[in-house]
Amino acid sequence: MRWLSLMEKLRAPLMILPAVATIILLFFGGLLVGLGQSLGYFPAIDSYDLTLQYYAEVLSDNIFFESLWQTFRLALLSTVMSSVLAIALALVLRQTFKGSRFFTFMFQLSIPIPHLVAAAGIVLLVSQSGILARGAYALGLIDAPRDFPVMVFDRPGTAIQLTYLWKEVPFIGVVVLAVLQGIGPQYEEVARTLGANSWQRFRFVLLPLIMPGVLSTSIIVFAYVFASYEIPLLLGVRHPTTLPVLAFQNYQDPDLSLRPQAMAMSIILTLIAIVLLVAYKRLANYAVSR
Amino acid sequence: MNKILRWLVLAIIVITALAPILPQFVWSFSHRWLFPSLLPSQWSTEPWEYVFTATSRVGEGFFNSLAIAVVVSLLSILVGLPASRALALHNFRGKSAIEWLLMVPIIVPGIVATMGIHQVFIRLGLTDTFIGVCLVHLIPCIPYMVLVMSSVFANYGTELEDTARTLGAGTFSVWRFVTLPGILPGLLVATMFTFLISWGQYITTVLIGGGTIITLPMVLFPFISGTNYPNAAAISLVFVAPAILVLIFTSRQLGRESSVMGGFGRL
Amino acid sequence: MFSFRRMALILMVLSMVVLGSAVAQDSADELLGPVPGYETWADVLAAAQGTTVNWHMWGGSDKINSDVDNDIGARVQELYGITLNRVPLVDTADVVNKILDESAAGVETGTVDLIWINGENFRTLKDAELLFGPWAEAIPNARYVDWSDPALAFDFGTPVEGYESPWGHAQFVMEFNTDLVGEEPPKTFEALAEWAAANPGLFTYPAIPDFTGSVFVRHVFFWAAGGPESFLGEFDQAVFDQYAPIVWDYLNGLEPNLWRAGETYPEASVLTDLLANQEVAFNMGYGPGNAASNIREGIYPESVRTFVFDTGTISNNNFVTIPYNAPNPAGAMIVANFMLGEEFQLKMTDPAAWGWLSPIPPSVYSEEFQTTVAAYERHPATLSADDLAAAALPEPPAAWVTAMEQGWIENVLQK
Repeated sequence: MRWLSLMEKLRAPLMILPAVATIILLFFGGLLVGLGQSLGYFPAIDSYDLTLQYYAEVLSDNIFFESLWQTFRLALLSTVMSSVLAIALALVLRQTFKGSRFFTFMFQLSIPIPHLVAAAGIVLLVSQSGILARGAYALGLIDAPRDFPVMVFDRPGTAIQLTYLWKEVPFIGVVVLAVLQGIGPQYEEVARTLGANSWQRFRFVLLPLIMPGVLSTSIIVFAYVFASYEIPLLLGVRHPTTLPVLAFQNYQDPDLSLRPQAMAMSIILTLIAIVLLVAYKRLANYAVSR
Repeated sequence: MNKILRWLVLAIIVITALAPILPQFVWSFSHRWLFPSLLPSQWSTEPWEYVFTATSRVGEGFFNSLAIAVVVSLLSILVGLPASRALALHNFRGKSAIEWLLMVPIIVPGIVATMGIHQVFIRLGLTDTFIGVCLVHLIPCIPYMVLVMSSVFANYGTELEDTARTLGAGTFSVWRFVTLPGILPGLLVATMFTFLISWGQYITTVLIGGGTIITLPMVLFPFISGTNYPNAAAISLVFVAPAILVLIFTSRQLGRESSVMGGFGRL
Repeated sequence: MFSFRRMALILMVLSMVVLGSAVAQDSADELLGPVPGYETWADVLAAAQGTTVNWHMWGGSDKINSDVDNDIGARVQELYGITLNRVPLVDTADVVNKILDESAAGVETGTVDLIWINGENFRTLKDAELLFGPWAEAIPNARYVDWSDPALAFDFGTPVEGYESPWGHAQFVMEFNTDLVGEEPPKTFEALAEWAAANPGLFTYPAIPDFTGSVFVRHVFFWAAGGPESFLGEFDQAVFDQYAPIVWDYLNGLEPNLWRAGETYPEASVLTDLLANQEVAFNMGYGPGNAASNIREGIYPESVRTFVFDTGTISNNNFVTIPYNAPNPAGAMIVANFMLGEEFQLKMTDPAAWGWLSPIPPSVYSEEFQTTVAAYERHPATLSADDLAAAALPEPPAAWVTAMEQGWIENVLQK
């Protein structure tokens, strides 16, 4: 009998163990090794003494800060624009109308499409010799590719943001849509009878209800863009590039002594991401509860 | 007025959804397509012929990507499903800490972990291996599996299971005939996420696969960065096809089943 | 004499029995010197029979990919029973890194057999003693290679010493669109700056660390110093500091007139696309035949031509090397040997096939080889071998290259 109750007690921990063990071993294990190297514990180059030297080197470098700003800017803009657009489109799509299933499918279309393919598609569309530029030429709006606005390999990273918008709007939108459809019309009906106009109905009825979903998905999107590598590498300027690109460049440099710097850079990136996201969650919760 | 606006928005949705994809069909059949031509001046099936040669390694990449994504999805289910059920239906000390722990890989940038894992895997002999690549893909997949499935289990009553058990159903029968049908729509969506996350991985595969394990994104990347757009487009379409198939299977759940995607609100 | 021939015949028959008839034609080949782990070339052939060679090489050109598979892969399969597994890379530094990591982790048997490598990466691996060999002077077809030629004895100043084997020759050329530039391109750096000032936005060069951008900047250094001589010895900070400011001034002066006003610099492959779509008027690269092959492939407009600067252009050689922990060094040596042979060199220099230059003068091969090569028809976008040879300049040692690249990043890109 005691055996059985022990089993019952251990049941939940045992069910959780495989997932937790996998994440701890792989993710936190990897994190720990990276942390060790960033502090100078790197047996491969006979370095065992712990030091903050690599952090000092990274933090004394302007390039690091320029890349950090670029990374932050891209992540922030992509997240804000995706969230706003996603909410707007979800509000349109939640109504049931003829063909709404087709349109919902079209809206979801980019969710499964790999980021690399999206990047290729965006380049073919918006580069200075892309489809849009050719259209503009055919309409007589431009005379040569260089007259077309620069969107690929530009400092603001327009094509990078377009790629993320195209990918992430439906991701956030689908979650918002799921929440909206779960709500049903009653709340709004009540608000309407109480004399709320459509903005008030949105602001005080719908928004608080969809906010948790928007919050979580926008955190995921922010974190994803903050850590992204291949899109800025393919579509961005060489300098300033994003921190993950910079870190991987240092990591993959045949000069192994740059490794600890790459690790230090990524650890700082990780810390900043955590601080930003916790602050964001606090701030958003505060704003919604007001 | 409202109706016109709605149709305008819907038209924009359809156009923007297709704009980056449809031109790739045209590119994949082009031989010569320079500015300012609106259509290729020379058409060709060469990019598609190239895709189907052994040289392009598209076939090899496709089957590797597929095998890895399937294995990773199965591992995610194996590891994530019990955890999701425990988190949703049991109460125990440290539960919220565990919830956070399992979400960390999607919130915290994975580059340090990936580089650290690379160092460890070299020593363990897991670099350049299929299983090594699967393990590193597993990291971002488990959180999504847990996120979606714990929400599904939270909305799923266990009464039916209890009833079945009192009626004498064995553990397996309960699972097979009661639990599984109940969670299947959610499981489909969660598996779609894990499949697609693995399917789209690039830098982790490059690092851990070491060039020995070739996946589709690795075949595609050089053509995009090399601006060989006809070949890039053809390979892109091969890369997209299974993803769209997956969406067709899960679109309805994604769109209508609020408890499935609603899980994201609980992060 | 008679008995020797009989002996040879018996040996040949024996080797045919042992190795299969396909390999027999090479039984006359012999190692020209010692190679670690193998006594004779027949040992090498026997060890490689039925094996796979993993060749890590840059994979961004479908033409090179298919050419390698068809003209090297398929042939070594037929001749030696070797399966060539081409591993595509985005950057060769990745595989160098992999070898470094494996050595740090004590991995005795790796996965890389052969690497198409450049001078800087070769130096990294050689300095770290992570290469197999020496072997390159000992493989049978090394007899064609003139190792006294400094361009073959040194790779970016690093002594080759048998640790890598040459196969192709490269020389930097400028490509330009006659529709935008006219028939007479600016052939000096002064004229180039003037042209760019008069036609802003139509010229640029790839960003370092891209090797094409790097070699362009080396040319500016050579121009600033009045020739390559100052940069061919050991790295000298004083000499570097003397000329570097002139180079940064020139390039920063050029910047506002570049494509995108120098806000960013493209990747080499993107620059190719820019020239193709007439977004810029110039491109550049190490392949004198690239413009012609891009025109044939439909990538470039017909109006593209090439030129070299009056002050000359840098040439170097393509090498392959074998890492210390290669699982199949025998197979790798056979592939490298095949690439120096008459059959492949004929294919490689054919303008209609590879369209590359050879590190080996045709005169060392057979009469038949020489007549075929002499009869090749040159595309109007390709300069003659004589013009190119007359303009050829050497590469500086890798230490100079590193300093120039780092200097450019700090003084031009990030300024």
